This record gives sequence, C-alpha cells and structure tokens, in this order.
Amino acid sequence: MTMIEVNQLTKTYMTHERGHSMREIAMNLIRRPMKEVHAVRDISFSVNRGEMVAFLGPNGAGKSTTLKMLTGVLHPTSGEAKVLGLTPWKQRREYVRHIGAVFGQKSQLLWDIPPIDAFYMNKAIYGVPEADYRSRLDQLTTLLQVGDIIRKPTRQLSLGERMKCEFIMAMLHGPELVFLDEPTIGLDVFAKESIRDFIKDMNKQGVTFILTTHDLDDVELLAERVIVINHGEIVYDNALTNLQRMLGDKKTVRIVTDTPIRMLSLQGVTVMNSISDVEAELEIDTEIIPLKRFISTVNEQCGIQDMAITPLPIETLMKELYGQGSRAMTAAAASAGVLAHQSQQGDLSM
Amino acid sequence: MIAAIRSTAACFWAVMRTKIAEQMAYRSHFILSVILLIAGDLIVPLITLLVYRSGATFAGWTLHEALLVQAIFGLAKGIAFPLFFGMVNTTLGLVREGTFDLLLLKPRSVLWMTMLRGLDLDDFGRLLSGGVLFGYALSGIDAPSIAGWLQFAALFAASLAVLCTFALLLSGLLFQWVGSSRVFDIFDSVTSFGMYPGTIYSKAVQQLLTYVIPVGLIANMPAVALLGRGGWETLGAAGASVLFLALGLWFWHAMLGRYTSAGG
Repeated sequence: MTMIEVNQLTKTYMTHERGHSMREIAMNLIRRPMKEVHAVRDISFSVNRGEMVAFLGPNGAGKSTTLKMLTGVLHPTSGEAKVLGLTPWKQRREYVRHIGAVFGQKSQLLWDIPPIDAFYMNKAIYGVPEADYRSRLDQLTTLLQVGDIIRKPTRQLSLGERMKCEFIMAMLHGPELVFLDEPTIGLDVFAKESIRDFIKDMNKQGVTFILTTHDLDDVELLAERVIVINHGEIVYDNALTNLQRMLGDKKTVRIVTDTPIRMLSLQGVTVMNSISDVEAELEIDTEIIPLKRFISTVNEQCGIQDMAITPLPIETLMKELYGQGSRAMTAAAASAGVLAHQSQQGDLSM
Repeated sequence: MIAAIRSTAACFWAVMRTKIAEQMAYRSHFILSVILLIAGDLIVPLITLLVYRSGATFAGWTLHEALLVQAIFGLAKGIAFPLFFGMVNTTLGLVREGTFDLLLLKPRSVLWMTMLRGLDLDDFGRLLSGGVLFGYALSGIDAPSIAGWLQFAALFAASLAVLCTFALLLSGLLFQWVGSSRVFDIFDSVTSFGMYPGTIYSKAVQQLLTYVIPVGLIANMPAVALLGRGGWETLGAAGASVLFLALGLWFWHAMLGRYTSAGG
C-alpha cells in the first residue's frame, strides 16, 4: 500500500551570492546579485507503508529540501506529493499529526529542564490522551532504556541520551511515518547500536521510516532501499544490494605477496592503498579480469601469502555514484536493467 | 468548539508550565531580569516627575494625569510583552538557525506555536511597575465613572491589539530581514510617541497617531477615557486598532510564506 507518492516535484529558489573581496562586500550593501538555485528537479518516487528508505546524496544534493517538502515545511515550486492521502504543505496541520521527525542537529528538547517536561508539553500540543501518553512513554523509555534519565535536566545528558529522548519526543503521538535526518550523527558505537535497534523495532511494528544520513553504516544496517539524489535529481532508486551491479562488479582485495606487488601489471586492477612492498589493497573490476584469472596470475607473478576478498565498500560505491553525471547514471542504470524497483512501481521516473 | 477551546487552553497551560520550569532553573537570572525591567520602565515616569517638580508641565495635564498615561503604557506592555513580543525573538533566532521548521511540524497554527514558544515570563514584571504607577496616578485624580471604566476596558483591549500588531509586524519582518535584531529599535522609536499625553502634539500628528499608526491608542486614549474627557466616539478609534490587527495578521502570514528554512 502506497504511503508516499511524489510526482515531478521541483523546488527552485533565489539566493544572493557575493565574493570575498572587500570591494565585493562593500558592493553587496548596494546591490545583491541573485542566483537561481534548482534544489530539486522533477523528482518522482513512491514509498510503501512499512518501508525503510534511505535518502542519500552529497551535501547540497537536494535531499534535505525534498524532505522539507515532504514534511510540509517548504512549498514546492511545482509538482505534487501525496503522503498518507494528504498534501503536506497544503494540509499541514492535519498531516503533521501523523508524522514524526528526528533531526540529529536540531533539538526539540528544552535545554534547561528535563526531557519529561518537554514530553508533557508535546502531549498537550498533539492532544494525546493521558492513557495513550502513559503507555507510549512506558514503552519507549523501556525500549530505549532511558527510564531514569528523563527526569534529569537535558543539558546534563550525554549526546546519546539526548538523541534517545529526541526519538521519544518524535514518537509519543504515535506517528505512522517518521523522518530521520542524520539520527546517529556524533554518537558512539553503543548509542548508535541502541538507536538502530529501536528504529528496527518500530519499523517491525509498522512505522515507515525515511532516513537521510551520511553514515553509510546506518544505510547498510537499516535501509532496504536507497534513493540517491545528486544535483537535485534522483540518480538511483533501488535496493542497496543492486547498487553494486549497477556500477559494475567490483571487489576489494587485500593481499600479501612473496615478491613486491608493484611488479604486477594487470588491466582491471587498481591499487587503492599500498601498505608495503608486499601488501596492498586493490580494486578489481571482475568484468575485465575474472577473479579466478586474477588469483592465478598474481600467484604466478608474485606468490600469494594471504588474501581477503570483500565486496566494494559502500563508501566507494557512493563516491562513484555521486561523481557521475545523473543523466549518464540514468542511462547506465536503464541499460543495466537493474531498475527493478522502478519497473515494479511502474510510474517512477529517474 | 468547546473541545477546541479546552485543547487550546491545555496547550497554553502546558507550555506555560514548562516556561515556569525553565525560569526556575535560573532563578537569579529571572529575579534580576524582573528588577531591571521594572527599573527601566520607571525611568520615563521619573523624568516626568522631575519635569513637573521643576515647574514645567504638559499643557492641560496634571502630574497624576500625565503619569496615568505612562502607567497605562506600562500595564499594556506588562501584558503584551510576555504574551506577544517573545515571538519577535523566537522568529529572530529560529529563522536565522533554520530551526523554525520545528514549529511547522506541530499540529497547531504556526502563529500560535510561535507565540507559545516566545512566552516570556520576565516581562510580567512590567505589570508590577505599571500597576504601582497606575495606583499612584489614580490616587491623584477624580474617581472615574462606571462609563469611564467601561470605555477604558474597551480601549485598553484596543491598546493590546495595537501592541500585538506591532509584535506581528516586527516578527513578520524577520522572515525577510533574517537576523535583524534592530527591529526592536523601530518599535521603541515609533511607540515612544504614545508615552505622552496626545494633546502635546499637533492635530495632524494626533490624527496620524490615532488612525494611521495608532500608538495613541496604547495609553493616551484609555487614559482620556478614565479621565472622563473622551466621548463614546473615541471607541471609533478602537475600530482602527481592529483594522491594524487584521493588517498585522495578514502581513505575518504573508511573510511566513517567504520562510525558506536553512541548508540541511
């Protein structure tokens, strides 16, 4: 069942720009040159109820603008979106009652007083009945293991504890859809794990999550599907596992040899990190050189002592994806035939 | 309808409760703020007192009558500042940081949320200084009639509407003039005309201050009503405050449409 339906959403805005010289700063007092920014260009996609979708893209790609339109904060320049059957920016008050949002860099808590006071305030703002509030608060504090800290002043809490409280704040009114903007930024591994487990739990209970993050571990551990935006356009919309196929079948190989590796010269092999004469991290394009041939050639030329083969790290995949032109990517994706999700949805445009 | 009012009242009380809790976290700051506000608000009345002691007067106004104008100004600010003017600071800070988004994510009117977010309890201290001055001024004039009190009540409500409109205009400007903390200076400059008896100005300026930028409604007209010098036709001037308020509401919402958030 479709929860979010976005059609040709576009956001363009004007911003002023100036250089850094004194003359330009002075001129800026008189005249401000304006520049049109195409933050989001004609994007279309849909999200089903219960999905966990990661929105990825480099800084300034347009993902935050897209999410702001989907939360009703910004009006689009053109295009349509229906979320939970409502148009977010037109039916904002009714719509936001059904959604939650957690921003890793914007707090909804009140700095000087305990989170429990902020929860109580949100209860009144959302009009949550007392019994529902009590049971949800119990459930959430138990899941996040914060029962004893919600009565301490917020400023005395660690970043991880504060973030857990941000989640409670966003979930107390029982939203069906939650937007997460960098929810694990700055957290230690334990806090990250706890937050990720909580998100998975909530997702199992039917809550749909839209996640934007630069932490690719979040993506690997949480999201079944990724939508990558670059220069305001969707350049990828599919399962994370399919991304590798789309960018060619590449592997990372960490290898230790008997003789120096620099003697090795093979097409389709790139040295990513030369650790010593006899140890290196290589990237292998298996479409050019099959793994079997690579192993036998290296063994013949240098003598393999030790070797570990792993899929290309997601960071590398993302860098490749961000680095390529969106139109080229769309064409490549179409010809590779990996846009399974697009064809399943039927009406998605890349 | 009753449910909506009850829900709105519950929301107001919940926010008020958290504001009190926030103020109590820094009690010394709260107490110092209240004392400084009271002291600041008593400067103009003290100057008035010095002027009258030196033998000079505002033509046609006794000391107590002149102080009545300033007392009403203080009372109006004592209500309007904690309730309405906090939203100017809220807009100033949240728009600059891009965190105004958080208010848009609440299922309430954005204006209501902005006002609630800006509730500023320190400013209730102005009520104390205004109240004391009001009592002192009343002690030196003839007791107002019931009709005078009724006129005063209506015109005082108009005074609050005018101040609320100023808060809306300043807050609205900040969606466009992001981070311009000088907007308070605009308010101080314009409303300082309302701290003195209206008759010290020329007829043209009095008209301007009643019907165009109705700062005369903030204190002068309610004082005139209490002194029994205003006819029922002064209530017509209150109509100007309703129009002014409507303009303020329209302007604020129009400017909200210009909110562009901040980079993510």
